[in-house]
Amino acid sequence: MKKTSKIYTSLIFIFLYLPIAVLILFSFNSSNSTNSMAGFSFKWYKELFSDGATLLALRNTLILAILSAIIATVIGTLAAYGISRMKNKHVKNTILTVNNIPMMNPEIVVGISMMLLFVFVGRMINTSSTLGFGTVLIAHVTFNIPYVVLSVMPKFKQMDRHLPEAALDLGCTPFQSFYKVEMPQIISGVISGFIMAFTLSIDDFIISYFTIGSGFETLPIRIYSMTKKRVTPDMYALSALIFLSILILLIISNFTGNSNTVKDKKPVTLKQKKTKRIVIASTFAAIAVITGAVFISTATAETVVVNVYNWGEYISDGSNDSYDSIGAFEEYYSDVLTEEKGHKVKVQVNYTTFTSNEDLYAKMKSGVGGYDVIVPSDYMIERLKNEGLIQPLDLNNIPNYKYIKDQFKKPFYDNGEETYSVMYTYGIVGIIYNTKYVDEADIGGWDLLWNNKYSGHILQFNNARDAFGSAMYKLGISVNNATETEWRTALGELKKQKPLVQSYVMDEIYNKLESEEAWIGAYYAGDALTMMYNNENLAFYYPKNQKGEFATNIFADAMCIPAGVDSESKKHAEAFINFMLSEEAAIANAEYIYYGSPNSLVTENSDYKEYLGDDYYVIYDPDIENNIDTLFSGYAYRNLSADKLALLNNLWEELKVDSSSFSGGIYIISGVIALGITGFIVFCYVNKVRRRRMYWSKNAKNSK
Amino acid sequence: MNKKSLIQKAAASPHIVWSVLFIIAPLIFVMYYAFTDKDGNFTFSNFTELFQASYLEIFMRSVCFAFLATVLCLIIAYPIAYFIAKAKPKTQKILIMLVMLPMWMNFLIRTYSWMALLEDTGIINTFLGIFGIGPIHMINTAGAVILGMVYNYLPYMIIPIHSVLSKVDNRLLEAAADLGSNPFTVITKVVFPLSVPGIISGITMVFVPSISTFYISQKLGGGNFDLIGDTIERQFQTAYNYNLGASMSFVLMLIIIVSMTIMNKYADDDGGVII
Repeated sequence: MKKTSKIYTSLIFIFLYLPIAVLILFSFNSSNSTNSMAGFSFKWYKELFSDGATLLALRNTLILAILSAIIATVIGTLAAYGISRMKNKHVKNTILTVNNIPMMNPEIVVGISMMLLFVFVGRMINTSSTLGFGTVLIAHVTFNIPYVVLSVMPKFKQMDRHLPEAALDLGCTPFQSFYKVEMPQIISGVISGFIMAFTLSIDDFIISYFTIGSGFETLPIRIYSMTKKRVTPDMYALSALIFLSILILLIISNFTGNSNTVKDKKPVTLKQKKTKRIVIASTFAAIAVITGAVFISTATAETVVVNVYNWGEYISDGSNDSYDSIGAFEEYYSDVLTEEKGHKVKVQVNYTTFTSNEDLYAKMKSGVGGYDVIVPSDYMIERLKNEGLIQPLDLNNIPNYKYIKDQFKKPFYDNGEETYSVMYTYGIVGIIYNTKYVDEADIGGWDLLWNNKYSGHILQFNNARDAFGSAMYKLGISVNNATETEWRTALGELKKQKPLVQSYVMDEIYNKLESEEAWIGAYYAGDALTMMYNNENLAFYYPKNQKGEFATNIFADAMCIPAGVDSESKKHAEAFINFMLSEEAAIANAEYIYYGSPNSLVTENSDYKEYLGDDYYVIYDPDIENNIDTLFSGYAYRNLSADKLALLNNLWEELKVDSSSFSGGIYIISGVIALGITGFIVFCYVNKVRRRRMYWSKNAKNSK
Repeated sequence: MNKKSLIQKAAASPHIVWSVLFIIAPLIFVMYYAFTDKDGNFTFSNFTELFQASYLEIFMRSVCFAFLATVLCLIIAYPIAYFIAKAKPKTQKILIMLVMLPMWMNFLIRTYSWMALLEDTGIINTFLGIFGIGPIHMINTAGAVILGMVYNYLPYMIIPIHSVLSKVDNRLLEAAADLGSNPFTVITKVVFPLSVPGIISGITMVFVPSISTFYISQKLGGGNFDLIGDTIERQFQTAYNYNLGASMSFVLMLIIIVSMTIMNKYADDDGGVII
């Protein structure tokens, strides 16, 4: 028995620690893969300390956790005091029930309910940037308070009510009685409430996810956006460091805790009391100093903030020794503004990312994102323009616009009198496949994504427009003018494909294809090149429809400014756009993302040509470059009418919830278990009743 | 004294104000969106839409997955909580610390590292490959999603059960043994009934997050096993259909409230007595 229990316990601990061991192991990986070890190195630990965005996210998380825990502890402790002294039972119970709501409610419901509130308030006071640090702080305080109340309440209940009265009678002032008599009795509850609040806040993802806006990123949110593409091992390194420090902290607290219990047997001396007080006081002092320092550091200089919302990994950000275009802009523009205004001005770019045009649209439409520069694609720009969600640019503030090649200046989605967008990149959707597993005979068309032979190794887009696009191109249906029946035909095609699909992905495709977990997927051409550099077995082609004609999507992404941005911020946003068109930044970005650049400074640069080698002619195929207008008009997505959009949304929803790939096994198992449990309860109940009856009838006989 | 009672009355007021503003008001907004259409007119259509076969399936699937995950957690957690409670106080403290430690790591990154373990080309299959076994297809299956739930929420089941078990008076067990119970009946008739409150809170703490998760099903299910959480998230983050999302959240809250009331009724009325 002893032995089996030990084996069992260790098995469970292996289960609990397996993923953590994996994570620590891969933090020492010398390549950037997170599922195969290439060699041992400390490189990711070094990388971590130069990864500004991650460190900033860490700092934000700590500030948020400390502030929300402090506020929640104050409000929660006061509340526990008030509630425990309440005489009216009904009021007391109501307050406690409401207090329990955030703990009992699923986090996602807490998150969306707060988001709805903030969106509403944001619309009332007509601001475009409600969501941000303030709203996340409010959300965190809200879900922290109940835990503080619950850990402090019992302390007040245990406390003898007459003690403070006695203290008052003996001449204490109310403050002294609180400080000397009540405080020492509740302090352990307060501290454990504070620690719990701090921990919950540090780890929270779901509630932050719904209440966060531009310009503030916490660590969990950053990890989430990374897991949508690939988690770089420096995140693993950070997790390993966090794990190690918590382990050390726990060991220390455990060690000191033990020595306390030994000492508890002896009377506590005045000196020990004093040191304890000093420890507590210095902890609080340290926290106060840290928060104070953070506030001061953010408040010293006038700061100009530019909130940029872009696709994931869509800018050269300084990782792997690349050029840091954001940092360079901050530095450059800070100098410009300082000179202009005559005093030090700090420029800060808050860079956050989205994974699909629809994500971006949802944020824009809710009106609370607070973004200054966004980078939607063609059809989305058309839609945003039609709905008045973006504003015309002042090209005088963007002198570098002259470097955009003429054929890209008035693209189909923005060819009115005023200019709403400056093209950032363009490209073509291609199919990427693994030459090791995929037969050359099978390639060429969209059919490859429907090929039974590769069932379970096919990836499909996880956004409605592109996924439906793949089916429509395959069938030769017009992606822009399809009738409702044709849309439904495409849905049928996608439903047919669903059992073959390994998963629906966006940027996760990189990892899945490079690690050879999946073999086939459609994605944007520039990304295909990136993947081919990382795994030489990968190849790609521009797909054809069933008639053998070139049929795929050509797209452009462009920088725009949302409608709500005021004229002052707009100027800064335009400066950002202008900077991204300047030679150094534009080339660095083009080298980083491998998409086609519309900028003549880039395409004519000899270093850039050399850097790309043969791939230069893949990206800048003269056939494509010279016919860009016809390609755009023939193969780009256009904005759909409102009813078609609604239809597309409904059909996508129908595809996502379609369960042809789902087996009934799970239902049968859970049904059987549920029946078993009910049967057991009924059996016990019947047994109890029978026993009770027997007992009673015996008693009845006896009394007779 | 007067001043004191005034302070007492005022002490809870920030909390009350906060609760009204940030707990009650948001829930009212959920209800408002759930019962209106895009133009703000009153309607039930969001709920009738949920009665489509596909949404019903999602609700059923979520309930089943969460149910299975909870049952599995209970089965796995109970013995370990019991073993820990039986250990020496010092070992107990260390073991419980080890149970809690993984929860301090970000759950996204832990789930992500399960992906690396379970993939066809992942660590487990590479390891099995050395012995010529496999590859066994694990990721993007229903089992992987349930495994993710069990992994993430297992500590929430172990800790409450352990805290109840560690407070069980040893003399009760001795008395039962003295009165002729064998070790097995001591567990079923004495230990288990006493631990019901811990089990109940463990079930709550596992079931609620399991039924509403969206990250685990996305990563370990590959988007093939949509749960309620995924569907709600999609309505708010990409589909921009707040009304449908709100009505789904409303139904989710109802499911949870109903299942918790049923369970608590057992716990309050009969609970230990039944068994």
